[in-house]
Amino acid sequence: MKEKPLLLAFVLVAALGCDSLPGRPDPADRYQRPSEVEDFALLYATHCSGCHGADGRNGPATNLGDPLYAALADPVEVRRVIAEGVAGTPMPVFAQTGGGTLTEKQLNILAEGLKAGLNGSESASRLRGAPPLTAKAGVRGQASTAQLARGEQAYATYCARCHGAEGTGGASGGSLLEPAFLGLVSDQALRTTVIVGREDLGMPGWQGAGERPMTAAEVSDVVAWLGSHRSSAGDAASGVSIK
Amino acid sequence: MNRLRAIGKWFDDRLALGRLYDQSLGHRIPFSSSSWWYVFGSATLLCLIIQLVTGVCLALVYVPSPDQAYASLEYLDYEQPLGWYLRGLHFWGSNFMVALVTIHLVQIFLFGAYKYPRELTWMVGSALFLATIGMAFTGQTMRFDQDAYWGVEIIVSILGRLPLVGEAATHLLQGGPIVGAETLSRFFTLHVFVIPATLIGLLVIHIRLVLVLGISEYPEPGKVVDPDTYADEYEQVVERTGIRLMPEGGGKDLVFSALVLMAIVLCAALIGPKIPNGPADPSLIHTVPRPDFYFLSLFAAFALMPPDLESFVIVYVMPLAVVLLFAVPFISRGGERHPSRRPGAVILVILVLTGLFTLAWEGVVSPWSPEMDAWSGVPVQPRFVEDRSPLEHMGATVLQAKQCRNCHALDGAGGKRGPDLAGVATRLTEDQLIRQVLQGGGNMPAYGNHLSPHEVSALVAFLTTLHAEGQAPARDSASWARSARESPGSR
Repeated sequence: MKEKPLLLAFVLVAALGCDSLPGRPDPADRYQRPSEVEDFALLYATHCSGCHGADGRNGPATNLGDPLYAALADPVEVRRVIAEGVAGTPMPVFAQTGGGTLTEKQLNILAEGLKAGLNGSESASRLRGAPPLTAKAGVRGQASTAQLARGEQAYATYCARCHGAEGTGGASGGSLLEPAFLGLVSDQALRTTVIVGREDLGMPGWQGAGERPMTAAEVSDVVAWLGSHRSSAGDAASGVSIK
Repeated sequence: MNRLRAIGKWFDDRLALGRLYDQSLGHRIPFSSSSWWYVFGSATLLCLIIQLVTGVCLALVYVPSPDQAYASLEYLDYEQPLGWYLRGLHFWGSNFMVALVTIHLVQIFLFGAYKYPRELTWMVGSALFLATIGMAFTGQTMRFDQDAYWGVEIIVSILGRLPLVGEAATHLLQGGPIVGAETLSRFFTLHVFVIPATLIGLLVIHIRLVLVLGISEYPEPGKVVDPDTYADEYEQVVERTGIRLMPEGGGKDLVFSALVLMAIVLCAALIGPKIPNGPADPSLIHTVPRPDFYFLSLFAAFALMPPDLESFVIVYVMPLAVVLLFAVPFISRGGERHPSRRPGAVILVILVLTGLFTLAWEGVVSPWSPEMDAWSGVPVQPRFVEDRSPLEHMGATVLQAKQCRNCHALDGAGGKRGPDLAGVATRLTEDQLIRQVLQGGGNMPAYGNHLSPHEVSALVAFLTTLHAEGQAPARDSASWARSARESPGSR
């Protein structure tokens, strides 16, 4: 007779406790078709983190995790780049319509998530005078001689300290003029890196590169000057020789 | 009390329960066979009972049709109160049953308990073992998820290699020329009717044989089984030392069965059932199907063996293994039983188990499968990004974007099909890296036609940075000799 309340308590605990047992399948682990995933963090982790880094930083490709990037990025342009990729660079096409795996909805989620910021977004007060992140569409090799001269001047002012006087590498920054690098990088990627910087790797952005922040014109000029060093040798059409 | 006894006697007079007890649970066994080594058979029986009970309960909800099977599992897992627990019990019951029936078989083999006069007991037991494996496989198919789908594909591919009967057998098993709507019904019928009925039938014979021939006495070194005298000797042992199986002899069986029951109940509660990993849809390409643990060895063996060998193994080796299993009591009919006098048997068990476990481990790791999402989903570790030039960063991006990472890990993260690239610069010089990328070789395809010269340059620039701090990168012998000649003291 004495055991009865004890038994009752046990049954009660067992019945109520069963729902919180560790073996109970967690609905969060439920299988989802890849096309049904709508969680930004998961989409970013499976499709972007390989090149752009686990939290958008410390990856080899463009720094998407900087709050400055989130504040300046144009979500329409971000979505377009994810969907269509960037021809001639390692950025692939992700839209299903172009042979990728992401649906229209997933592209929107990624663009909105990147705009909201992987690590938050920079406050507007610090952005006064920021050059526009997206350049007006320009065609390679159309910079005027005058612009190139201004670009060289801007390079000497803001970049040479680390990347060397000639642009071929210096104290703490590697060469920017390697034909293979310039052949695979887009002007937009150069521009984004000049403006946002790579704080994760010790490279300042437009505000910290020199004694005063870079102007929008200086950013465009330096990108044009860097781009003018591209050569057509080494593009997909030409051969490579084994040493 | 007297009335109760009278009622009991009334039933006993008609059902002869006392005589049934004397001949079954109460039958006399040698004292030495009441041992902790003799508990695995009864524990397997317990698992079977758990499987029957939980299986019947699952069948109340499970819908054996391809479009609803997966949904009914999700209903059990997430909607029905304690439905997941029922699945957990059935899943862990099957795991324990396969493990225990295997241990039982190994123990019988090591103790030489299959020898005269128990040859038939061994053969029926072997059939029970195969039936249990059959239950496990068809049970895995019931989940009708990605694992199930590709598991069926593999098994029917194996069947299809059999000469003459291959095509008919696959057609029969699949209910058509391909895995389709009928396939699940076929496997459901096997799992719920055909194999359980066979299993129970065989089990009746198995237990009948155990009762008629008696449980083998604990083996003693030097004591030899001689078919001419064994029966008399066994009778004398039982006469001299015999105890009743229940209640005297079976205590250890009860204790061990209780432990197994507790283990199953706990595993189901703490680890839970296996979550189905996506509906059986061959259009889902981002899938990594793996069989349940008991088939991992087979999975790995077929993944690793050269394709030329597959048909030979399927047509000759696998049937031969089954024939040998059944023939064991005829290959060694009498003689010593104790394992210390049968080193060949012990070595055989060690070799087979080591082989199975090694293959199973390979099956878990499955280094032969590329990791198809690694290129976009496994980040380049920050330490391979720090202190590198823009070109080297571009090279790391090319490494990812061209999906090198799907086969090549960087310090353990990524595919395991090719060598880890974390220290590749200490193994290959720059020229060798270029050659390897362009021309492939050693199982690696040539990428010369898929990469632009810029991409190759960037990629190789990155790869040449991949050596541990303080460890010199590889140099070609000519440049090494040159530098040694120029400054002899510096190497």
